[in-house]
This record gives sequence, C-alpha cells and structure tokens, in this order.
Amino acid sequence: MTTPRDPLPLSGRQPRAVRSALAVLEEVVAAGPGITAKEISAALKMPQATTYRLLNLLVGEEYLVRLPDLKGFALGRRAARLAVPVTTTPPTAARAVVDHLRGLVRWGVHLASFGAGQVTLVDPDPDHPPSDAALLARYPQVSALGRLLLADQPEWRALVRELRVFTEHTVSSTSELAARIDEVAHDGIARQCGELRADRGCLAVPVRAPGDGRLVAGLALSGPANRVADPNTELVALLREHADRLAPLLA
Amino acid sequence: MRDGPVLPRLRERSPVHGLRRRGLAPLEVFAQSVSGAAPSAAMAATPAIVAASAGGGTVWSFVVATGLALLVASCIARFTRRMAATGGLYSLTAKGLNPGAAFASGAALLVGYGMLAAAALTGGATYLQTLVARLGGPVSVWVPVGAVVAVGLAAGALALRGVRLSARVVLLVELVSITLMLVIFGLLLAAPPAGPELPQPSPGLGGIVAGVLPALAAFIGFEIATALGSEARRPFRTVPRAVTWTAAVSGLLCVFAAQTQVVGFASVPGGLAAQDAPVPTLAAAGGWPWLTPLLDLGLTMSFFACALATTNALARVLFSLARDGVAPRAFGRTHPRFATPHVAIAVVVPVLVVGLAATVAAGMALAPLLVFLLTVATGGFLVAYLLVCLAAPVFLRRIGELTWPAVAATAVIVPILLAALVAYVVASGGTPVVVVLAALAATAVAWFVWARLRRPAEVAAIGVYDETVAADVLGDTGRAA
Repeated sequence: MTTPRDPLPLSGRQPRAVRSALAVLEEVVAAGPGITAKEISAALKMPQATTYRLLNLLVGEEYLVRLPDLKGFALGRRAARLAVPVTTTPPTAARAVVDHLRGLVRWGVHLASFGAGQVTLVDPDPDHPPSDAALLARYPQVSALGRLLLADQPEWRALVRELRVFTEHTVSSTSELAARIDEVAHDGIARQCGELRADRGCLAVPVRAPGDGRLVAGLALSGPANRVADPNTELVALLREHADRLAPLLA
Repeated sequence: MRDGPVLPRLRERSPVHGLRRRGLAPLEVFAQSVSGAAPSAAMAATPAIVAASAGGGTVWSFVVATGLALLVASCIARFTRRMAATGGLYSLTAKGLNPGAAFASGAALLVGYGMLAAAALTGGATYLQTLVARLGGPVSVWVPVGAVVAVGLAAGALALRGVRLSARVVLLVELVSITLMLVIFGLLLAAPPAGPELPQPSPGLGGIVAGVLPALAAFIGFEIATALGSEARRPFRTVPRAVTWTAAVSGLLCVFAAQTQVVGFASVPGGLAAQDAPVPTLAAAGGWPWLTPLLDLGLTMSFFACALATTNALARVLFSLARDGVAPRAFGRTHPRFATPHVAIAVVVPVLVVGLAATVAAGMALAPLLVFLLTVATGGFLVAYLLVCLAAPVFLRRIGELTWPAVAATAVIVPILLAALVAYVVASGGTPVVVVLAALAATAVAWFVWARLRRPAEVAAIGVYDETVAADVLGDTGRAA
C-alpha cells in the first residue's frame, strides 16, 4: 500500500517517457523472455541510456524481471495485474467435489482461483450467492479467500490498495491485518467474521498443487458470522478433506 | 535480428533461500545503512580528527568526502538496481571481477564488518562507562566488560530473532540518537561566540586533502543495505536509494557537526584540532553541562544500533560465502522459523564478544582500542569499495549495458580510492595496524589457496545472489521445461 500523494502534473517529456515505458513492456511480451536491453533498444530505435533507465525502473517496480544471466528480461508476476483475469470454468470432476460438499453442509460453498494475483470466484454457490465479485477482487483483505491469497505472497502489502471499512468488525489497521495474515500463513486456514457484511462470515482453506505446493485455489464456507467464530472442528476437517480432493483436479 | 528467445533454465527456489524474501520496508532497510554509518558517533568524534590535518578547512574535507561517498554509492547502485544480493559488496564484485577479486572483497568485508562491530561495541562501552561515572556510578574495568558482553549478546539475540525485529529496533534507536545529536548541535551552533575569532592557520589544499581520508572513514558501513537485497521489499528500488541517501544524510550531518565545532572553537588557540573532547567542552562553555550526559546516551545508542546493523551484515556475508561453498557449509544454514543465518550469527557474535571482553578485561584502554579497531575496519572497507567501483563498468559491459557515466564515475573514484589506500597504509606505517592487516591478508590468501585447491568448481562459480526464480516470472515460460 502506498500512502496517497499529490499526483504530479505530467510535464515536459514525461508523456513520452510513459509511452516509451509501455513500448518496452510490449516489446518484452512480443519478443518473449530472454530479450536483452541492447535488443530492445535496437528494436524500438530508442537511445540505449534511456532504454536502460526505463528497464531498471520497470525492474524496480517488478513489472519486469531480469533472468539469472542478468542480461535477459521477462515479464514479472506483477505484470499480471495489468490484465483482466480470465475466468475459466473448473473441470466437471472438480465441480462434482464442490457439489458433494454442498450436499453435506448447510452453509454456502464457494471455489475461487488465484490466478493473476486476484480472487476470482470460479464456482460460486448458486443457493447462497456470495458477495459481489468485484468487491472480493478489489479488497482481498476483508474476505477469507482473499486472506489466503495474501498469506501466500511475501509482498501482500502491494495487493492491499485501501483498508476500506465495511462494518464495525472490519480490520482497519495494517499492523492488525499483518497479524491476521501471519495467522493464516501459520494455521493454513483463513476466517472472517462479519467484516464484509455484518451478518455473514467465512472460512477458507487453500488448495495447493500436489507437487510443488503452490497455491492454486481456495475453498470457502460462508455462514452466519457468530457461527464462523466457533472452532467448527468437524466443518474444517470436511473442508480440508474436500480441498485435498480438489488439488489434483485443479493443479 | 534475433535467433529466437534464449530462455535460461530457471530455478524453483533462490540459491539464497531460507532468508525471509522481500519482507523489509524501505525505511527499515534505510535505517540499517544509516546505523552502519553511525552518523551520530561520526558527528561527535570525527571533526576533531579531521581538523588535525584540515584545520579551518575541516568542513571542506567533509564536503569532498561526501562527494566521494556518493560516487561509491553510484557505482554500488549499478549493481543493486539490477540484482538483489545477500553478501553485500562481495556478491556484487563477483559479478564484475574474477573470483580472486571477489574473494578479496569478501575477506575485506569480513574484516571491515567484524572490526566495525567490535568498534561499535567498544564505543558503546566507552560512552556507557562515562555516563555511569558521570551519574555517580562505580568506576571499574568491569563496567565496560559487562557492557560489551551485554550489548554484544543483545545484538546477537536480536539479529538471530529476525531481520525485521532487529531492523525496527535499529530504526527506533537511530532515530532517537540522531534527534539527540541535532538538538545538541543546534543548541551549540546557536550559542554566542566565546570571544573574538582568532585567525586560523590556513590549511591549504594539502590540508583539506589530508583531511578527506579520516572524513571518509566517517561513512564506512553506509553500504550495509546491500546485504539485505533478498530481504528488502522492492529491492531494486529500495537498496540503491538506501545507500545513496545514507551517504547524503551522513554527509550533511557531518558537515553540520563540523561547522558547529569549527565555529565553536574559532576563538580558542589551536582551534578544533587541539580539542580532546570538543562537544562536552562546547557544552560546558555554553552553560549547558547537562548536554554532556545526553550526548553520552545518544552515542551509546548509536553505537548499539551500529553493532546490531553490522552483525546482520557480517552474518550475511559469511552466509553468502558459505552458500558459495568457500566457507564452512554450516554458515549457510538458516533458522526455519526466524529465517536468519543463525549458525553464522551464533558463531560470530560469541567470538567477537569474548575476544573483545578479554581484551578490555586485560586492561587495554578503551579509547586507543576504539581507534585501532576503526582503523583496521577502514582498511577493509577501502579495499571493498575500490573493488566494487572497479567492478561496476566491467559488470555493465558483461551484460551489455555499459554507458559512459558508469565509466566516468569509475575513472574518477578508483584513482582517488587507490590514493586513499596508499595514504592509509603510509599513515599506519610502524603501528600494530599494519601487522594486523598483513596477518589478516595472509590468512585470506591462505584461505583462498585452500579453496582453489579443494573446491575449484565452487571458487570458479563464486557469487550467489537472489536470482529470479520460476515463481517471479509471469506465465508458464517461467517454469523450467
């Protein structure tokens, strides 16, 4: 999160610099990973010193990364945030697992994917409509699914744009949020009681790839806020069991 | 034009995995570098040393030294804008020069940080002892010994517990200490002159130049942020800024402190150079004797922060040497929960503390010990700075991004650093410093020869850094096929 600052008026050669930076990004995408600074400079007919400065800026902001030889460039993970995530319908076998869980519990069951560093609901519960998808994507810190995503990222602060307060329970300070995120990383389960809507709460567990353990999706239960705060041992066990069954189907 | 993209195989995890990646806020990284340079201590102590050569030109010596430190920072930034290292200047040098030079940088940094940490402990003990005595406490050799042990172990424990925690402690302590210094020096500068200004002997250009070396010594440690590359958030932006800003801020504070003291002693025969304890003398003359214990407190805190920051850096250099396979591999281990190089810290800190405590307990006076340790440290840093400045354009050429400002910066700074190194060796001629440095250099050479014979492949591939891993790259192309 950055503190809001007065935006400086664009002046002089700055518009050109912005265009050049975008051209550099496009060139890296077009040429594919491994393109060097000299090649970019030649392809765009841009002065070398300017190209190097723009590249260092884009690397500093992590839209680009340098490959291990330090010569070649590739798109960084942050660049994913420039594109709208594509919602893909999960495979039938995965939807069957989610439906199976819906048959066992009286709470809403939602499946979300975390591609592009955003919460995207790929299988929301039709009988218990979840909160607005745009809200979930925009304020990951107030949903249990979003907290799973944040806990997986060392740089989660970059994904939290604004600590907007929705209810009296909404976490409103960075330090408190940091403590919650640490808890999620430690316990492997995220919860949220009445922070987005006063009467609703959520529990979510990660779905991790069986091989490398990377986070691919999150499985959430949503129910009455006062019930979510309880230990819910059996519900959590059920949730984890279904998340484990989803892992090979989604990774 | 291109033969198609050549995608090198990406690793699944960084070669320096185990440290907490990308967790430190910019201010926390900056605080580490500032504490390494310990501007508070430099403000109180160095102007008098510089004045011994530069006299009335003391301020100019500091201005020149600040310019040089900024040039060194610019050479360091050529690397840190492009790579995130854990071994500080050693890891950077390895990307430009051959393994021998990189190894020399590593050894020089170990000496530099080791001696600077010891000096910070000694300095902290010195001012704590003075403070205790001033407040009516006991005067005994056990006060500084106790201070060395307590402060050293506290620094070690904090460094072990996590880089975040120690960075925050450092930030807080350094902030208080610099604020204290600014208040003290502001009051002193506002004080009316004690008498008519005496004509100062003009130092001439030679005097100012001679004053640059001790003034440059006030900056050592300002590059500590380079050892936190993998642990800093947005390292390619944060680390170069931290180093450059530390050079600028330290320089500004020192120029301010030098000006205060030169003006304060303008009416005293011999000027600032004749002063043993300039700031307490000025405080007493101004009618504020209570400033002196405040100064002692500020300096004790500054030295504590410096000890903590240098311990962090020292452990990370050793950690990187171990991950490179040229130091015992155990030093490359990290604590599973605290994500710190715990073995390196657990070995280095007790060795430093016990060695230093034994020296002090044996009756070695603190003031000459502090000067000796700082002098040896300066030697190590001069070598490391020289090598990294030399490496910068070579590195840029190797990756095909050489520009003329990089060449120009190196062309200016390298001869000056070489001259400073020669002046340093000449000035230390006939003192134990030369003997110690020669012994340390011989040890380093023997270590390198051993490494070359026993682990030739590791030595040839020296220079691990926090390289881009598959997870950092967007898309499936990032994953090794």
